[in-house]
Amino acid sequence: MASKGNKARSLWDLTAGQRSRYLAAAVAMSIGIFILYLSPLIVRTAIDGLIGRQPVDSSQRFFIRILESIAHDRVRWAIFLAGLCVITVTFIAGGFTYLKGKWAAIASEEIVRQLRNRLYDRLQHLPISYHDKAQTGDLVQRCTSDVETVRLFYSNQVVEIARCAILVAAVLPILIYLDWRMAIVSMTMLPVVVIFAVLFFKRVQDSFKKADEAEGAMTTVLQENLTGIRVVRAFSRQEFEKEKFEQRNRTHRDLNYRLFWIMAGYWACSDFLCLAQTAIVLIVGGWRVSHGAMSVGTLVAFVTYVSMVIWPVRQMGRILSDLGKALVALGRIEEILNSPEEANPAQVAAENRSRGEIIIKDLSFSHGEKTILQNVNLAIQPGQTIALLGPSGSGKSTLVNLLLRFYDYTSGSITLDGAELKDLDRKYVRSQFGVVMQEPFLYSKTLRDNIKLGRHTAADTQAIEAATMAAIHDSIETFEKKYDTLVGERGVTLSGGQRQRVALARALLKDAPILILDDALSAVDTRTETAILDALKQRRGRQTTIVIAHRLSTLMHADKIVVLDHGRIAQMGTHDQLLSEGGLYRRLWQIQGTLEEDLTREMEIGAALAADDVGQTAAEAAPT
Amino acid sequence: MAEDHLNEEDPFHPRIDWALWRKILIFARPYRRLLLVLSILGGLCAGCDVLLPWLTGRLIDLIKLDGASAPVFRYGFAYLSAVAILASCIWTFIVVAGRITTGVSYDIRTAAFAKLQELPFSFYDKKAVGWLMARMTSDCSNLSRVMGWALLDLVWGTCVLTGITIAMFIRNWKLALVVLLIVPPLLWISRFFQVRLLLTSRALRKANSHTTAGFNEGIVGVRTSKSLVREKQNLVEFSGLTSTMYGHAVSNALYSALFLPLVLAVCSIGVGLALWRGGLDVLGGAMTLGTLVTFIQYAAFIQNPVQELANMLTMIQGAQASAERIVGLLDTDPQIKDSADVLARIEEHRKNPRINVALDGLTDHIDTIEFRDVTFSYNAGQEILHSFNLTVEAGQSIALVGPTGGGKTTIVGLLCRFYEPTSGQILINGADYRQRSLRWLQSKLGIVLQQPHLFSGTIKENIRYGKLSATDEEIIEAAKHVNAHEFITALEGGYNAPVGEGGGRLSTGQKQLIALARAILANPQIFIMDEATSSVDTQTERSIQSAVEHMLEDRISFVIAHRLSTIRSADRILVIENGQIVEQGPHRDLIRRRGPYFDLYTHQFAHEREEQVLDLAANAVQ
Repeated sequence: MASKGNKARSLWDLTAGQRSRYLAAAVAMSIGIFILYLSPLIVRTAIDGLIGRQPVDSSQRFFIRILESIAHDRVRWAIFLAGLCVITVTFIAGGFTYLKGKWAAIASEEIVRQLRNRLYDRLQHLPISYHDKAQTGDLVQRCTSDVETVRLFYSNQVVEIARCAILVAAVLPILIYLDWRMAIVSMTMLPVVVIFAVLFFKRVQDSFKKADEAEGAMTTVLQENLTGIRVVRAFSRQEFEKEKFEQRNRTHRDLNYRLFWIMAGYWACSDFLCLAQTAIVLIVGGWRVSHGAMSVGTLVAFVTYVSMVIWPVRQMGRILSDLGKALVALGRIEEILNSPEEANPAQVAAENRSRGEIIIKDLSFSHGEKTILQNVNLAIQPGQTIALLGPSGSGKSTLVNLLLRFYDYTSGSITLDGAELKDLDRKYVRSQFGVVMQEPFLYSKTLRDNIKLGRHTAADTQAIEAATMAAIHDSIETFEKKYDTLVGERGVTLSGGQRQRVALARALLKDAPILILDDALSAVDTRTETAILDALKQRRGRQTTIVIAHRLSTLMHADKIVVLDHGRIAQMGTHDQLLSEGGLYRRLWQIQGTLEEDLTREMEIGAALAADDVGQTAAEAAPT
Repeated sequence: MAEDHLNEEDPFHPRIDWALWRKILIFARPYRRLLLVLSILGGLCAGCDVLLPWLTGRLIDLIKLDGASAPVFRYGFAYLSAVAILASCIWTFIVVAGRITTGVSYDIRTAAFAKLQELPFSFYDKKAVGWLMARMTSDCSNLSRVMGWALLDLVWGTCVLTGITIAMFIRNWKLALVVLLIVPPLLWISRFFQVRLLLTSRALRKANSHTTAGFNEGIVGVRTSKSLVREKQNLVEFSGLTSTMYGHAVSNALYSALFLPLVLAVCSIGVGLALWRGGLDVLGGAMTLGTLVTFIQYAAFIQNPVQELANMLTMIQGAQASAERIVGLLDTDPQIKDSADVLARIEEHRKNPRINVALDGLTDHIDTIEFRDVTFSYNAGQEILHSFNLTVEAGQSIALVGPTGGGKTTIVGLLCRFYEPTSGQILINGADYRQRSLRWLQSKLGIVLQQPHLFSGTIKENIRYGKLSATDEEIIEAAKHVNAHEFITALEGGYNAPVGEGGGRLSTGQKQLIALARAILANPQIFIMDEATSSVDTQTERSIQSAVEHMLEDRISFVIAHRLSTIRSADRILVIENGQIVEQGPHRDLIRRRGPYFDLYTHQFAHEREEQVLDLAANAVQ
């Protein structure tokens, strides 16, 4: 229960900055309700005092005297003024109701706007380790539907509950003043209606959930059918699919129909209760009027007040039964908001562009039980190109993640220009790197904007230059909107290779002191890759480059090739050095040689088998 | 192109297209009786709603006349009875309207789903799955809601308005005219606000989906954002989205904050007028006090039917776009379908079935497939294939290689008759395949796609998809054939293990094996495979390879090949570039020629070997 109290407290905390607006809304609402309540009183006085010519009490007499003095004692005018009063009062009350609606809406929308922004900002600053564990779908759901639940709480539930409270609180003194016995009679149904609704919605929650699930099941079948339409056709399973869908569709229909039954019960019962309240007032009041204990005008006033209060109160039950949801939703939201951000103790203030010198000493890193890097020592001079080679799981990407400070290393040291990486501001460190990952992320912006993310201030010509170097310019030119083409769902779908090249252009334009290509050209075809590598060679020395790749052709020209194996450096040196050493690198290299042998062998067999058409094919094979 | 539809604005139609609605009304036909019941109930409700204030007024008059002897309890009882009738009418009409709504949406969905099973792939190329999903979900429920509730609103609103008008005219026609004065402005205000509310809530929904997309992007792209140090800029852009959403939400809230007070204010004009003019009539003795009370109550109540009528119009307008899209979907011509001649033969065969004959009355066995001068383009002007010729005999395996976009997938799509040639012919056993039954041809196919598609359900159910009548033994047999048995039995639940949505619980390699088992169970005459490019672990890779080799035996097969082993074991290799065969022949011939195939082969070969060595190194110590 303590946590529930805490959450209620945080619901209150979220309203910070908007409380005066809520207060203003509450005041406006109270005034509006109070003024609106005048209208039945005016009608009552008019009916009793002006039209019915009945004896009236002092306050009514006061009102009538005012009307008559304005109307110079002419009844016709007095009645006209009474009608006018009803209209004026309603208009003024309407004005206040509008103000209440406006302020409450602005307050609650402002609260959730800030909540959304806070969530987004927090998600950006949570450590990568948090994102590794979290599921995207779950996080998105918290940020959207849970926020929506909280929004409903502020914009609707709080306001409605307050309104009902004020409605009831304000009407009671009036009714008691009019006739206290009747007041009791006319409020008997209120608690019944509320309790009925609360109990009702508690009990039927399950049916709503089931209907939702049935809808989910139906959409799943539909979606799988549409995405797998080739499989359906290929196996000619149309009838089977129709049957499967029909089944889910039928369940969905039946459960929804059940909901209608349930809701029909709710509406009919609550309508009956509300109208029965009017009936009771009418019967008891009528009996009292007929016995001279009450005036007709008072009866009309009671009937009007009852309908003014009971219909809004009827909605209460539903709202009250939904109230707990806001607390649950808020709990899920706070889990995100209360997770600690990436620690960032910037002890050394660095601003200048780094030279790009990286020294790694005795670096070890483990993830849980598993050791990923062990005693890695590596010195990278400014402007050098370093190639990392190794089987998957050997620790290449982890090394990159440590350099970018996505994770914090625990033992050993990494220095950038001599400063310990751990002591540097994360953002500063990251801004010194240009990174292209194997599955790069592009934003749903235009291609131009995506490329310019590396450097906002870049001119279009520079962006095109980077795109040309990344061999993506020509592909972009084939799109209808060229550089203005939107990427993603609302634009073009790029192939893996195209995405990699756009990301490369982005990194090239950023022109950071250190460029990291983490298997960044794996989906690019060989010919294009060669072109890109040639272009990169032109830039040699301008920035430190770290390349991770699986193709030897990509790596062999590096200044230093590092072969990683199970988190250790197995070999390190230039292409020639490594070849002379033997080991994994040489085995890889030798494949090139065996390829030729294999081909020759295959061709010899082929030639023997196809001896009859040797004349023709030999002539074609000869030049090579 | 396909993505444009996601951007599609829901147009708002100021004019109601009745011809369109008539087409949709076909779906209401099975519910004629219920609709009639609904109308009667609407009328009954309206009657009660008119009766209640009238009873109140009558009672007041009687009390005034008779004092203590007035039949208060009799009237009270009548009032309560009317309330009870009203409540039971409400109960019944919600149930009836619910029956119609859920029934109609079920019917539309069933019809649309059946249609979707017939539509050609060219249709699917143009419509994103998300777009189609929206048609089947939100459009269907929009339409069914209109069917159920619009009629009720119409009947109830009209009846109440008429009833009130008649009741007032009977009592005092002059005062009736005065009170009715407020109906036109009420109608106008209701329409104005409801349309605004509809539009702003649509804008809000759209802003909401943008915000959701923003969150999604922020989460998925968190590494990139961090490495580009974009956090601040991202937040600025994101708060632009939330501000837009805030704007729409507030303007929606403002419209509704203004709407009800305004309606009440207009009603108060009616009440004020009734009080004034009616009060004078009462004073002059032309009217009773009870009648005045009735008039005041009517004036206050009249907003309800007016709002409902306005609501009905808005509802129809709002759903018109849905109606258009659904009618459009249902009216789409399937284009690729059996000709009248084929249908006649199918019917003939159904009456006199013969043995060893396909369901369209022709031979069941496929001896040859021939592409004769086949030209094809998805969009006019952009030819993918030009005068493509190819003959394949039973038992032959064909490997298709070449760059992406060269036309390999198109050849396979045409063969499956997912598409038909723009010009030229595809012949099966020497006859144009358009003279054969579509279902027959497709039931002879076994297809394994690059990204294998599984349906949620168990592994067993997924394999059985290839042959619905298969016994468990046959399923296990098929799984053993493709070396999938081992991994399946290792799973918790074995063959009854759920694969998850879209096969999400299995690895890509495992999904591929299941897809192969499914294809093998179907025992197709034509086997088609688009080999996966993504790498899987060595063990699974080997299983897949031997399974594929097994599939290639004794059938016509087309493989869009990426793996050397598959390519080499094919009887014929076609190198496809720009919609044409640039080279063809068996592996050895092509190698000797040192042409495009040789280039492709050597690159591919080197890569595969390198990967193997790396893979070995990774496995060596583990």
